[in-house]
Amino acid sequence: MAAGFKTAEPLEYHRSFLKENCRPDGRVLSEFRTTTLNIGSISTADGSALVKVGSTTVICGIKAELANPAVETPGKGYIVPNVDLPPLCSSRFRPGPPGEQAQAASQFIADVIESSEVIDTEDLCIERGKLCWVLYCDIICLDYDGNILDACVIALLAALKNTKLPEVTVNTETSTPEVNVEKRSLLHIHKHPVAASFCVFDDSILIVDPTDEEEKLSTAQLTVVTDEEGQLCSVHKPGGTSLSGEKLQECISRATARQREIQKLIDKVIKSIKTAK
Amino acid sequence: MPTDTKRLRGPDVSKSPSLYFSKPPATVASHGPRADGRQRDQVDIRPIFVRCGLVSQAKGSAYIEAGNTKLMCCAYGPRETERKDETDMKCGRLITDMRFAPFSCPERTSWIQGTQDRDLSLMLQESLQPAICLHKYPRSQIEVNVMVLENNGSVLAHAITCASLALADAGIEMYDLVLGCSMRQDGASYVVDPSYIEESSCSSDRENQGCLTVAFLPSLNQISGLQSDGEMTEATLTTGVRTCIEGCYKLYPVIQQALASTVRKAAPPPSES
Amino acid sequence: MATVQVCEAEKVYILHGIRDDLRVDGRGCEDYRHMEIETDVVSNTDGSAKVTLGHTAVLVGIKAEIGKPRPMVPDEGYLEFFVDCSANATPEFEGRGGEELGMELSTTLYKVFNNKHSVDLKSLCITAAEHCWVLYVDVLLLQCDGNLYDAISIAIKAALFNTKIPRVHISVDEEGGKEIELSDDPYDCMRLDVTNVPCIVTLCKVGHRHVVDATLQEKACSVASLIISVTQKGTITCVRKVGGGSLDPESIFEMTEAGKRVGKALHAPLIKLLQQEESLGKKRQKVGFLG
Repeated sequence: MAAGFKTAEPLEYHRSFLKENCRPDGRVLSEFRTTTLNIGSISTADGSALVKVGSTTVICGIKAELANPAVETPGKGYIVPNVDLPPLCSSRFRPGPPGEQAQAASQFIADVIESSEVIDTEDLCIERGKLCWVLYCDIICLDYDGNILDACVIALLAALKNTKLPEVTVNTETSTPEVNVEKRSLLHIHKHPVAASFCVFDDSILIVDPTDEEEKLSTAQLTVVTDEEGQLCSVHKPGGTSLSGEKLQECISRATARQREIQKLIDKVIKSIKTAK
Repeated sequence: MPTDTKRLRGPDVSKSPSLYFSKPPATVASHGPRADGRQRDQVDIRPIFVRCGLVSQAKGSAYIEAGNTKLMCCAYGPRETERKDETDMKCGRLITDMRFAPFSCPERTSWIQGTQDRDLSLMLQESLQPAICLHKYPRSQIEVNVMVLENNGSVLAHAITCASLALADAGIEMYDLVLGCSMRQDGASYVVDPSYIEESSCSSDRENQGCLTVAFLPSLNQISGLQSDGEMTEATLTTGVRTCIEGCYKLYPVIQQALASTVRKAAPPPSES
Repeated sequence: MATVQVCEAEKVYILHGIRDDLRVDGRGCEDYRHMEIETDVVSNTDGSAKVTLGHTAVLVGIKAEIGKPRPMVPDEGYLEFFVDCSANATPEFEGRGGEELGMELSTTLYKVFNNKHSVDLKSLCITAAEHCWVLYVDVLLLQCDGNLYDAISIAIKAALFNTKIPRVHISVDEEGGKEIELSDDPYDCMRLDVTNVPCIVTLCKVGHRHVVDATLQEKACSVASLIISVTQKGTITCVRKVGGGSLDPESIFEMTEAGKRVGKALHAPLIKLLQQEESLGKKRQKVGFLG
């Protein structure tokens, strides 16, 4: 009976739960799904992380390559994030070039990197005007069950924290770079931005960490990114119904709490890897 | 080279740091034990880890890990076919797509699918098709997507195994499972389930070396896919095929067990009370 | 791929014939159809050949260009394959219809030539890590009547035999800069050694037997075929199962054995024929495309 109700009247089905201040999967409105993290599982990448938020799964792999810095920014390296939503992760995505959603997600991630200053691109410069690192951060969704932006940001941050770059020296005679694989050092992470996404139901009810179905039925979506100092890095609200200032404030305070939870989780996982070694 | 306008692009040229390594890369010895401690000239496959049904959105899915080779496969369908021009609508169509994550290989690969990906997709399709009862799915298509997360050799062989598991998990009717195994012949000796370095190492000008991948239906005793390159004598090829079949039989109980445990989880046996 | 519809009765007829080693056109199971080879058919390529096998016709042109060696193998040149399925061959190839088949054929060709002995790639090197010859092998399908692989591989071997690469002279000036000079004399050219270039034999499993050089009708009766590329020494450079069916291991072994035998036997007459044609020189009567 419940299954039939769910298929026939999905919106009513959700409403009946929200009336009781809970959700079909048993969460309360302001509860995130269980988040698990696996760091450094891909040995071919210079840094990697796999994040699961509920059943949403996202993997991020970072590959570093050498390039010439851009003429206008001779002292800076590059960070190139790309989000891919392959047909593997959900039946709604088709093979071929990335769709609108993937493009928007890539741009969002790029904006978060830029505005939060998670990494100082000057750290990526090896020799001013001549050589710098390019960090290709490729984020792939393996299971799409809503709230992919949160998962992407966590995956990116954890992968960056795991990235080790080899030491590079430029030979003064031949001016060719020399890479010392044995000497690798961690990237310096300046900030720890974490995203928290919200959905607005029926113009008024605010829920946290929406699943795919909740995203589809909601009237507006909102993503807030904050760092460890409680600074706002990004507020992303693509259209939808309007939201009162009060509600937004509520979201921001929930996001700062989430930031602390995730940073603790990342630290814990990194520590457990170190002790395992 | 087509420019990619739908993705964020970095600088026009960037080079892999491996081109500038101060030390030459380690070469693989063509005798003695293998780098990972496995035996040469024996059907010594890497222990594998398999799980079914990990992806909530897919009809069926499987994840396989053999040494450092990690790949994931999702199966979708049957759903209405997209190509209406096909004259043969009595049979369903199998669509395969195999892709490498950009960070899966020692060198970063482009997002844009190369000919290698498309060739592997085709091999995957030809290897799986004989095992699926396509006549039971008229006017529909079944999609198989493989994502290679980390490539440490024998990707095609493991993709075949993983894809057949995902199809079984999706409840697609099949005659048999398809298992894949590959080997590399190097002069007089061979290695089964080669790693990435073993696969790409091209030692001296020796004759009789090459790679071979076999897809095998274990309970029907049929070969559904076969591919080799390099240079081999007929005798080597024949023993190679036999070796790979043996490798597949070693894999069989593990795969069976994984499937059985998935089914048990989905529908627990009625408690005897 | 160009296909024909064959009704059940016709299938039974073909199947029974093959069982008794007698095919519809009177051939035995391991016989090829009538084959015609002509080299040097396109004057603005460095080497070309046209092969007709039954009604299948393919044209191969080879262009040699100077390129940069691949970073992994700085002392070798390389080959590039491209197969064009023109809509002339069959209406199915119109638009992008032939793309898939063309890709499949060209990737198989890369595999067939993916070894050290087929073509002496070192001889294609001009200066290590700087310049090398790149041979662009362009295959054009003119007509499809089954067995494309075999016809293409024979045409490639003939075209490589026919290829004349101009000799280059490298002069070094005072500052150490290198200059490449092409020889003016059209007869001063380099030839390739084609002895080890493999030929592909496609074996179609029909019923319990397998046939060489299947026609489209025979192909329609078969579940799967095996492509085997064999050098004149009998070394196998590529094996691949194509088609939607599966084969039992024993028949695979039988088919490789047969493929090796048939493939090996193909080389000697082919080379003899090519040499004969070459020795005629200018006296040779050109047949061209309408012949």
